[in-house]
Amino acid sequence: MNKKITFDRNLMYKHSSFNFIGNDEPGGKASSLILMKDTIDAAFKDNKYDDIIVDIPNMTVILTDIFDIFMKENNLYKIALSDQSDDIIANEFQKASLPAFIDGDLYSLISKTYKPLAIRSSSLFEDKMFEPLAGIFETKMIPNNQFDTKTRFNKLVEAIKFVYASTFFGNSKNYFKAIKKDIKKEKMAVVIQEIVGEKYGDRFYPTISGVARSYNFYPTGKSKPEGGVVSLALGLGKSIVDGGKVWSYSPEFPASPPPFNSTNDMLKMTQTEFWAVNMGNISEYDPIKETEYLEKYTLKEAEEDKIIRNLCSTYDIQSDRIYSGISGYGPRVINFAPILKTKVISFNELVKKILKISEEKFKTQVEIEFAMVYDPENNNPARFGFLQVRPMVVSNKLVDVHIEDYEQDEIFINSNHVMGNGINDTIKDIVFIKPNDFRAEYTQAMAMEIDEINSSLIDKDIDYLLIGFGRWGTSDPWLGIPVVWNQISGAKIIVESSLPDMNPDYSQGSHFFHNITSFGIFYFSCKNTQKIKIDWNWLLQQKIINEKKYVQHVRLSSPLKIMLDGRNGIGVALK
Amino acid sequence: MSKEFNAFAMAQKQFDDVAEILNLDEATKDLLRNPLREYHFSISVKMDDGTSKVFRGFRCQHNDARGPGKGGIRFHPQETVDTVRALSMWMTWKCAVVDIPLGGSKGGVICDPHNLSEREQEQICRGWVRQIARDIGPLQDVPAPDVMTNAQHMLWMLDEYEAIHGAKYPGMITGKPVGMGGSLGRTEATGYGVIFTVREALKEMNIKPADTTAAFQGFGNVAQYAIKLYNQLGGKVICVSSWDQADSTSYTFKKADGVNVDELLSITDRFGGIDKEKAKALGYEVLDGDKWIEQEVDILIPAALENQITKDNVNKIHSKVKMIAEGANGPTTPEADEIIKERGIFMIPDFLANAGGVTCSYFEQVQCNMNYFWEKDEVFGKLDVKMTSAYLDVSKLAREKNLYMRDAAYVISINKVAQASKDRGWI
Repeated sequence: MNKKITFDRNLMYKHSSFNFIGNDEPGGKASSLILMKDTIDAAFKDNKYDDIIVDIPNMTVILTDIFDIFMKENNLYKIALSDQSDDIIANEFQKASLPAFIDGDLYSLISKTYKPLAIRSSSLFEDKMFEPLAGIFETKMIPNNQFDTKTRFNKLVEAIKFVYASTFFGNSKNYFKAIKKDIKKEKMAVVIQEIVGEKYGDRFYPTISGVARSYNFYPTGKSKPEGGVVSLALGLGKSIVDGGKVWSYSPEFPASPPPFNSTNDMLKMTQTEFWAVNMGNISEYDPIKETEYLEKYTLKEAEEDKIIRNLCSTYDIQSDRIYSGISGYGPRVINFAPILKTKVISFNELVKKILKISEEKFKTQVEIEFAMVYDPENNNPARFGFLQVRPMVVSNKLVDVHIEDYEQDEIFINSNHVMGNGINDTIKDIVFIKPNDFRAEYTQAMAMEIDEINSSLIDKDIDYLLIGFGRWGTSDPWLGIPVVWNQISGAKIIVESSLPDMNPDYSQGSHFFHNITSFGIFYFSCKNTQKIKIDWNWLLQQKIINEKKYVQHVRLSSPLKIMLDGRNGIGVALK
Repeated sequence: MSKEFNAFAMAQKQFDDVAEILNLDEATKDLLRNPLREYHFSISVKMDDGTSKVFRGFRCQHNDARGPGKGGIRFHPQETVDTVRALSMWMTWKCAVVDIPLGGSKGGVICDPHNLSEREQEQICRGWVRQIARDIGPLQDVPAPDVMTNAQHMLWMLDEYEAIHGAKYPGMITGKPVGMGGSLGRTEATGYGVIFTVREALKEMNIKPADTTAAFQGFGNVAQYAIKLYNQLGGKVICVSSWDQADSTSYTFKKADGVNVDELLSITDRFGGIDKEKAKALGYEVLDGDKWIEQEVDILIPAALENQITKDNVNKIHSKVKMIAEGANGPTTPEADEIIKERGIFMIPDFLANAGGVTCSYFEQVQCNMNYFWEKDEVFGKLDVKMTSAYLDVSKLAREKNLYMRDAAYVISINKVAQASKDRGWI
């Protein structure tokens, strides 16, 4: 698909059509979908796999020249590049006007579209290999179900301006600073895409959202890195990309559950809430809030929608066992057992096929995002929507690490679950959560303290090693430290430790994870159930540079030597 | 207006030609070739020097079968009732072609504001309203600014009207300042509307705007915004002409690389006159005022005055010109129009091309009646849709019936108004 088809307001676009407003670049996200469109169409005759419709949802892309005109005509660079808060920047962008010649196209587009829409960023730098800006910019979802075109148009315009504004939010600015790129050179295209899902009362959501990677940095049990890994969630994919509770499995062994310690662990660590587009009344008008139209709902509500029969199992308290489906009373466990174990639908085979063709197209390991409707109870046809593909960075440099070669007192950290590959012998600064003061209820305060230290180290151009408890980058403060990427963007080595009462599955938050791998950051997972070591006593004796309530920054007299063997997942940091 | 040129006679001739095509019956022709109502009145004003003076005022309501009348008020020393009649008729067709639910009106006062103080002008405005307050209003006939009247005049008129009727009627008049009942986007609307139609015409010709060049006559409000939008679409304007008050003549300012609208605006006075010395310093070639028409461009956009493309200069139009979009009212004389038709140059007629202004005035009235004002994007979104859809209707008819674009536009408008008059049982 080489030719960009200009948006024509006089046409009604059919299924899986792409069209473009403007003349310049479509940005990373849209480019990769354009690249995949013909591949998907060729691989699935009539866009079908068994009885599943497979497609890339309809999308209209507003190209980067429109962003240029918008910024210039409204004189927005001054406020955009200032130190003002995100809200003030977003407000100024809301007050600005889009180029007049696209307003009519948008008005026509919205007058013919009644499905909920996702307004996504697609920046020049975003999603390109080695320049990963996954999750840095905002996406806004709108219900698009208002009776009059005028209101739907206004909501669409607000969402586009919000995405434009997010180019210059603090998150993004710090990020550009960390990767030493000039934010003024960034240009934003916007993808307007139909959301895959169905409406249930006042909720609209896909049955399953997923992120699949063709390379697994954390293989467990029999699975191998090349076997890949898939994370699934009920509802919108926000649960996955934000690093919430999801179900992860290897496509080679779909019936093998993640390594939970106990049934109780499984109940605690699987999804109990899901995200959906709120199609009813919203609590407050707030065009500069990403989640203005998003709501979290409980599994009980999904069950009322008759949607979870094929997604869950039920815990039987009498036998302390979990049974596939919803035949009995008891807590529901979103483990997708009917789909993955009983194979009521060829879902896993489809995911594997799509990973394979995506890898072939990109000639490297890939990460894909998708959403699926599987709802036989309500007679909705099964549909697999391919939403996103990004190349993954997997280093092949040969590094051999043999822990037994080193004396115990030489080792600061070692782990047999690491991500990354190579040697670093420059790090002297270590930022860590003080182990004795750690309480899960204070993780948000910890994130703020880390943010401050990170900013000061970035300003001084100092790389550092970061140690914390629980899952880094989670949106759930009870699972770990809820930082966003820019708050730890100066860390070159990240260590994820665990505590007995905070022992979540490994970090798999899609955007966070993608950024770690693409930037070549070394990642140590040191779960307390494994044979690992962090020499806390030694660490606490080092020279303190900055001490806060929960976080401490120390500097070593000589740099650490850090070695990671990515093929075998083994890593060590030597004092 | 000169004696040899009678605008009303021209408007009636245009109507008669189209009535022939449409095969209208006599009663319909009689109804539509004359205004429904005319008001002629005297406005007595106490002048600043203590004397009294009486000014002649008019309001012609050509046809309101499709909705309340809409049209400007002109202050001009050579104003004639025939001009006002013709303009009211053209307003009827303009509202109909863009399918806004309004009829056509026009008003005027024979006066020269250059020789009147602000207070005297205010007295004329208030006096005009006192004479006609019962026959205009948001549900009857909605005036707007026109030649030598502006937002301030509209506010005085609104104030007088509200004083007479004892209530607030922000939708009684349009062209008010933003914040005082005016609509965002009104300033840009006419110029943008011209380019919306140009864009659609280029699409039909399968030509990318970025591959085209244009020459503009005029550098007033319409031309400035039209150039801006045309540039955003990628088009290049190689010259503009503008009136020089000091030399009492016009000049054409040419830059082969493309004129820069912001640069020119920085050396333009409030009447749209460009400083020729500063222009030269900025690298512009300064040519005679009529040279704009001779340029080797794809598109000509007359956006100044009426009667600019005449039988005397029409043959100077370069063979490369593919399209003329009339930003001004009546810039092409019927004789020149015939030659343009013969040469196969695509014409976007004035009452279609420059209907963005009245469309936005309609939006202003709607917003005033709701007392709820829209964001600029909404105004432009709706404006674009209206203009584009009007253009496509006209061009489709022109293709299907093999009509000249101007004739096709008239056919659509007159047909709509005739039908509305029939549906109401007037004929």
